[in-house]
Amino acid sequence: MIPTLGHITVVIGLAATIYAAAAFILGGRRGDPGVLASARRGMYAAFALVALACVAMVISLLTHDFSVVYVARNNATTTPPFYSVISLWAALEGSILFWTLLATGWASLVLYRYRARLPALMPWVGATLALGTAFFFAVMAWAGDPFVRVTPIGPEGNGPNALLQNHPFMGLHPPLLYLGYTGLAVPFAFGMAALITRRTDEEWLAVVRRWTLVPWIFLTAGIVAGAWWSYAVLGWGGYWAWDPVENAALLPWLTATAFIHSSMVAERRGTLRTWTHALVIATFVLTLVGTFLTRSGVVNSVHAFTTSGIGAWFASAILLTLGGALGLLIWRLPDLRDRRAPGAVVSRESAFLFNNVLFLGITFAVLFGTLYPILVEATSGARASVGAPWFNRVNAPIFVALLFLAGVGPALPWGGASWATVRERFAIPILSGVGVVVAAWALGVRDAAPLGILGLATFVLVVMGDEVVRGARSRARSRGEAAPLAVLRLATRNRRRYGGYLAHVGVCVMAVAIAVSATLGTDRTATLQEGESLAVGEYTLRYDQLVTEPLASDPRVIETRAELTLAGPQSGPIATALRDYPNSQTAIATPVVRTALGEDVYVTLLAYNTTSRAATIQVFINPLVMWIWTGGAIVALGALFAIWPDRRRRAVEAALAGG
Amino acid sequence: MTLARPVLAPLPPRGRRWGLLLGVAIVVGVIAYVAFSSVGNALVYYVTPTELLARDDPSGETVRLGGLVKPGSIQGEAPDLTFILTDGTTEITVRALAAPTRSFREGVGAVVEGQLDADGLFEANEVIVKHDENYVAPSEGGLPTQAFDPGS
Repeated sequence: MIPTLGHITVVIGLAATIYAAAAFILGGRRGDPGVLASARRGMYAAFALVALACVAMVISLLTHDFSVVYVARNNATTTPPFYSVISLWAALEGSILFWTLLATGWASLVLYRYRARLPALMPWVGATLALGTAFFFAVMAWAGDPFVRVTPIGPEGNGPNALLQNHPFMGLHPPLLYLGYTGLAVPFAFGMAALITRRTDEEWLAVVRRWTLVPWIFLTAGIVAGAWWSYAVLGWGGYWAWDPVENAALLPWLTATAFIHSSMVAERRGTLRTWTHALVIATFVLTLVGTFLTRSGVVNSVHAFTTSGIGAWFASAILLTLGGALGLLIWRLPDLRDRRAPGAVVSRESAFLFNNVLFLGITFAVLFGTLYPILVEATSGARASVGAPWFNRVNAPIFVALLFLAGVGPALPWGGASWATVRERFAIPILSGVGVVVAAWALGVRDAAPLGILGLATFVLVVMGDEVVRGARSRARSRGEAAPLAVLRLATRNRRRYGGYLAHVGVCVMAVAIAVSATLGTDRTATLQEGESLAVGEYTLRYDQLVTEPLASDPRVIETRAELTLAGPQSGPIATALRDYPNSQTAIATPVVRTALGEDVYVTLLAYNTTSRAATIQVFINPLVMWIWTGGAIVALGALFAIWPDRRRRAVEAALAGG
Repeated sequence: MTLARPVLAPLPPRGRRWGLLLGVAIVVGVIAYVAFSSVGNALVYYVTPTELLARDDPSGETVRLGGLVKPGSIQGEAPDLTFILTDGTTEITVRALAAPTRSFREGVGAVVEGQLDADGLFEANEVIVKHDENYVAPSEGGLPTQAFDPGS
């Protein structure tokens, strides 16, 4: 009964989005507010319907209704309620259902918030969003129906993928990623609307910047949380493997980040306008490409969903979107001419330009490395993969150059800089960077990567600090404000700039943490008998005993854990386990991570022997890893600060609404 | 901040455009060169025992060898573990220099990365055990498909 209801809501939802698209186009052409209001209600209805479908799926999962194929494949009677609920997005069909929920949610939110604003643009924004969501409804109605039934009904289901039910983080990072992915349809819709109505002006840019930053925050948080999940769950001591699914999330993030930077140039200087439009299109297309890669079975990946007929749907959608959007862009090229000559080679806009070239360089390299094995297989039939070292070798220098630009950009004036300015602005930051490198060398750091990144990060931080001090000083002088108040006012009156600086602080923190953790960590693997010890760095790890018992929360899962005693800067009893799930061929690692400000002690059980009681244990000492997550959080907070509505902006928006 | 005289920007707009284009072209060229020149060597091929031994010179090159762990063939413990990988027609003895990243059992699908030495022993730098619940044994001479652990 409930699954049937779910299926019916999906079909009605498809009709609602198609109606909304048609009504938006009709209402937009006629300028009929009644038709447009009805179109908006069509989108709200689609959102309500898919929400009902999600509820139907969650109820089916919680009640273990194995008549639904999806439930039978991804749930078992012993699955804890939490993992039953999050199974909504743990496999292919459910993830598309969840995706549609978020996509219609974003669309409804935007249509509601702008219901009385931007009257020329909004019908086309609505039409684009409605067509996009209609695609997902259509996928669910045909190729990827989440409510397909099965007879005879089995007494027990397969249970969720063991890897995905081993850590509560699974409840966090996919929704964040999906919120980011689906939200990026909004700037695309505004981009299409601007091209269609030929309103490619600064008003458009301001709205799109804002609506790119909102999903960008989620995408950033999702990528960082995903890296954290990989670190905490997979037991390999690392957090980023250049896996196709990681790459799929990174690609739109890269182009969206490029857009966030280039749009500032387009808005301030009236240059890079075509480029900025192209980035909006590229970002949305890359979200589709990412979905295609991870859901069609064309690439090998730990996250890859089972092969399905959905691939052809997505491939067609990508080609249609790319063709349509690029065609529209080329048609409107005359509207997008630069309004000013480009800046000098040494100027802030050139720093932005090179920033964009580098972001696109990484995008290209990641896309190429991800797709190259497909190319090889298509041409020679051989199966191959491009290893992580290649991605690191190609991308690390580009990331370093980007970090350098993060320091150069804010210090250079728009238009062009004189030698005097360059000297004045860069002398102290460069000297500080060199000073930190020398100090780190004196403290015993010898690897080039952490030394270089430390120096660069210092350079960037001092440039920004210098900017803040200058601004605050002039404010304190002219208004007689105390220094802390001046800094606060300065930041809250220029949210965009100082939010950007805060994000760059987070980037510096992440860069240092990544460079240090990648080069200065140690790891050791040893096979120990009960009572034996292993020394790693300042730590000693004693292997006390091997325990095998069923898990309290799910007795079908057998846990074998090595109980250990850690001694050193961090100490105490720890246990690292391998869990045997009834539906998994291999045991799932449950690494233990002891985190301190300076370093993580990461212990994972690789193998054990129940007769000899021997355990093979791998210990990683990973310095500064928690600062990677912290840096990611600072980046997201910086962007949040930048878009936080303030009183003046509200006044502007009110004025816009009136006009 | 625009007070300073832009001494570095004496070029007319047309000249600036060429200057910028040149800069962009150099950056793009370097990235493309680094990417294209090294990707061929970065490719790690998946092969079956049959495919590997059918090569003219099977030893030396780093490959990912996929197959099933032959029942009864596991001997010793990491880091001095040996076992036989089979695709149903051909068998290769593997010595794991590094410990397997997951406990692995007889009969499971495994992928090992390393090189075949001159004596026909495969020295594996890493052992990747597949953790796909829908795993199907490879067809004869075929490859295990789908998910590989990214972290191993």
